[in-house]
Amino acid sequence: MAKHATPLLDQLESGPWPSFVADIKEEADRRRKNEKNVTYQIPSDVCDDLLGVLELSYTDGTTHWKHGGIVGVFGYGGGVIGRYCDQPQMFPGVAHFHTMRVNQPAGKYYKTDYLRQLCDIWDMRGSGLTNMHGATGDIVLLGTTTPQLEEIFFELTHNMNTDLGGSGSNLRTPAACLGESRCEWACYDTQEMSYQLTMEYQDELHRPAFPYKFKFKFDGCPNCCVASIARSDMAFIGTWKDNIGIDQEAVAAYIGGELKPNGGAHADKDWGAFDIQKEVIDLCPTECMWIEDGKLKINDRECTRCMHCINVMPRALRIGNDRGLSILVGAKAPILDGAQMGSLLVPFIKAEEPYDEIKEVIESIWDWWMEEGKNRERLGELIKRQGLAKCIEVVGLKPVPQHVLEPRHNPYIFWKEEDVTGGWQRDIAEFRKHHQR
Amino acid sequence: MADPKDIVVEFMQSKAKSKSKFYFNDLAALFPEMKMREAKKIINKLVTDGVLVYWSSGSTTMYGLPGAGKQAGAEGED
Amino acid sequence: MTFISSGYNPDKPMENRITDIGPRHYSEFLPPIIAKNKGKWLWHEIIEPGILMHKAESGDEVYTVRFGGARLMSTGLINELCDIADKYCGGHLRFTTRNNIELMVETLDEAKKLKEFLNSQKFKGGSHKFPVGGTGAGITNVVHTQGWIHCHTPATDASGTVKVVLDELFEDYKKMRMPAQIRISMACCLNMCGAVHCSDIAILGYHRKPPIIDHEWLDNLCEIPLAVAACPTGAIRPAKKEITTEAGETKTVNTVAVRQERCMFCGNCYTMCPSMPLADQTGDGLVIMAGGKVSNRISNPKFSKVVVAFIPNEPPRWPTLAKVIRQIVEAYASGARKYERLGDWAERIGWERFFEKTGLEFSEHMIDDFRDPAYYTWRQTTNFKF
Repeated sequence: MAKHATPLLDQLESGPWPSFVADIKEEADRRRKNEKNVTYQIPSDVCDDLLGVLELSYTDGTTHWKHGGIVGVFGYGGGVIGRYCDQPQMFPGVAHFHTMRVNQPAGKYYKTDYLRQLCDIWDMRGSGLTNMHGATGDIVLLGTTTPQLEEIFFELTHNMNTDLGGSGSNLRTPAACLGESRCEWACYDTQEMSYQLTMEYQDELHRPAFPYKFKFKFDGCPNCCVASIARSDMAFIGTWKDNIGIDQEAVAAYIGGELKPNGGAHADKDWGAFDIQKEVIDLCPTECMWIEDGKLKINDRECTRCMHCINVMPRALRIGNDRGLSILVGAKAPILDGAQMGSLLVPFIKAEEPYDEIKEVIESIWDWWMEEGKNRERLGELIKRQGLAKCIEVVGLKPVPQHVLEPRHNPYIFWKEEDVTGGWQRDIAEFRKHHQR
Repeated sequence: MADPKDIVVEFMQSKAKSKSKFYFNDLAALFPEMKMREAKKIINKLVTDGVLVYWSSGSTTMYGLPGAGKQAGAEGED
Repeated sequence: MTFISSGYNPDKPMENRITDIGPRHYSEFLPPIIAKNKGKWLWHEIIEPGILMHKAESGDEVYTVRFGGARLMSTGLINELCDIADKYCGGHLRFTTRNNIELMVETLDEAKKLKEFLNSQKFKGGSHKFPVGGTGAGITNVVHTQGWIHCHTPATDASGTVKVVLDELFEDYKKMRMPAQIRISMACCLNMCGAVHCSDIAILGYHRKPPIIDHEWLDNLCEIPLAVAACPTGAIRPAKKEITTEAGETKTVNTVAVRQERCMFCGNCYTMCPSMPLADQTGDGLVIMAGGKVSNRISNPKFSKVVVAFIPNEPPRWPTLAKVIRQIVEAYASGARKYERLGDWAERIGWERFFEKTGLEFSEHMIDDFRDPAYYTWRQTTNFKF
């Protein structure tokens, strides 16, 4: 029997999409029955009370959570988000309901024994509710009490060889697409690089000293499946410098209709026969493709690697072989001065272990941001405030036209004294020899 | 050089009337001769030693003396 | 409730402490066929909605069955997933960035059986547990934030609004009839801890009333300088106020004052100061944004634009939200060309036509007036359509 009546939430049990309400109710039931004889370390009716407080929000249209300043386990400045219910007498099971962020394996592959072990810990020491996964990429363990935080951390580190993720003014848990593990378009090993940099920067991840949050995301190609270009302070996006590989027989098979365009992604609508001119060549943003003697030609020097042709004909076209990545910096959501997309900083860099060159770029950016960034200023905002040219200078790169979409619209160049012949110190007496007062 | 602990604690106590939580930048400014990353090491050592505690807004982290401030009381955690 | 120690000693927190070990290495978890062919994949194909096939140089084929789940997931359900993964694919599974789940097998026959099995699994209330789909030119799972389940500044619920939208669009999760993929994202307040600002369609919770100030208690619960500093628009200042307490006593207290016309309803003050709550039943609701994308394909990545300034909160099923999303999706599905993303379509036909085709109403709220970037969104040309 449910502890609280939830007539409004019950209406979210119907409809075809998986119902989180049904799932929480089943978990509440499991906890009530406790067939596994778990010695619950937080109130066993936590799921019931969560449904109760959520029903209250559905009734009065407002949240019933308060923020808590608790940050993590001893010595860590992140990984835990503190939450308290503002109706603890009505819902004692969720009076304290803190979240823990657990660092996910790169690419989010799991073995079941690992997940089961994690579930066992969380059944005993937490609410039994999770997010698989949070927006940044962590496994999110949703709801436990303060005394359990250290216990869970101890079990994670000792028994599961797993650490917490980031929160607050930290390096946030890096996230990668599945990359080379199952994608023919990965221009570098996103999982390995994500792992290596996560390990290299454990201190930055756990002990906050940045002006604000900082995110790394690793996308294997310009399709950007983890949205690095939109939501990471530093986006590592795979690319290549040489030519797109062409299998002319497969091109002919696409033209002849034996192969389905775009890997069959448009199967449920009749779009007519595949037309390579209309669907590939005419849509190429740089118009660098054509058919000659029945063969597909690409002027690779003019190609900007947008991936459209490769996406449409994955069996005929391949990413180039001289592979690496571009680094774009400063993406963020709109708060405060408006949304920012990542801006190109490093056009091309090799992504090879031990990633020394890339680490140099990262560390020069951090040194600059830590010195110059105001409290709660994202990297993108600092770049806006001090200029992209400054950012390029900080990492020791030469400014190139690739850095901009177009040159500046105004002539207000703030020249530096050392860049002007003769400097700025002038003699008024000398001037007066030629100009009356 | 004076003990970093004394510098930080004295600074925080001098501000205690108005606030109990400080950004990393406010504390790093107490060690002007130091690179930010060195200052970070010292300040984080103070956390490990129990002199300072973190406080997080979720998006931003601040530092304070243990038990100082008003919110801990409001949260019933002290 | 008997306390069971993990081994942690609260008196000596540093004793046997393990820190800074990071995540497990992904290679421990890769299915054997994935580990074997890593970096040596040739091409892939979507065999049917929800089933992908990747071909490796070795000749190996791996069939991936993709299915949706709510991102809020119980350990009971995860264990059930583990049972399925143990039975069908050697104990391996994978989650995607967009909260889908993937199981990998080595033959099409196994994949089809698995798909049939997953589609047959339902909760008691009737909803699917593991609906297969989310591939190709369709509508995949909606990424979202916490909402009323766990957040202190949400203007709406996240899990509920997403459930409603995916119920409405369920057929298109399982089909591939769209001109290109539609990525829908949901964030429950303007801080966007789920960055939704580059989505084909974004659902955003929004407050419309400045914080209420609990003057009597503020100075006891908050540090005024922190509340002042929390405001991104500088709208909060320290103040003194004469109040009558609940007990009827008149006194002057230290508190804050808010310049209400400057408030952008972000809730940052409430984070720092619990005496400044923001939530309000009638004030809060949803903004709909459209036309963003993150892929570099054909056109550059772009931001989503506000196309509906406000939809009231209508729990539990948010009918207006579902209707508006449906209008946008159908207008796009019938108007866009093959491969054209929603934002590219809107730009080709012009935003004046976008409002006509979708039946959405344009209002002054859709004209940007926030700081410098606003100017670049106005029309500095005589080229427009009547």
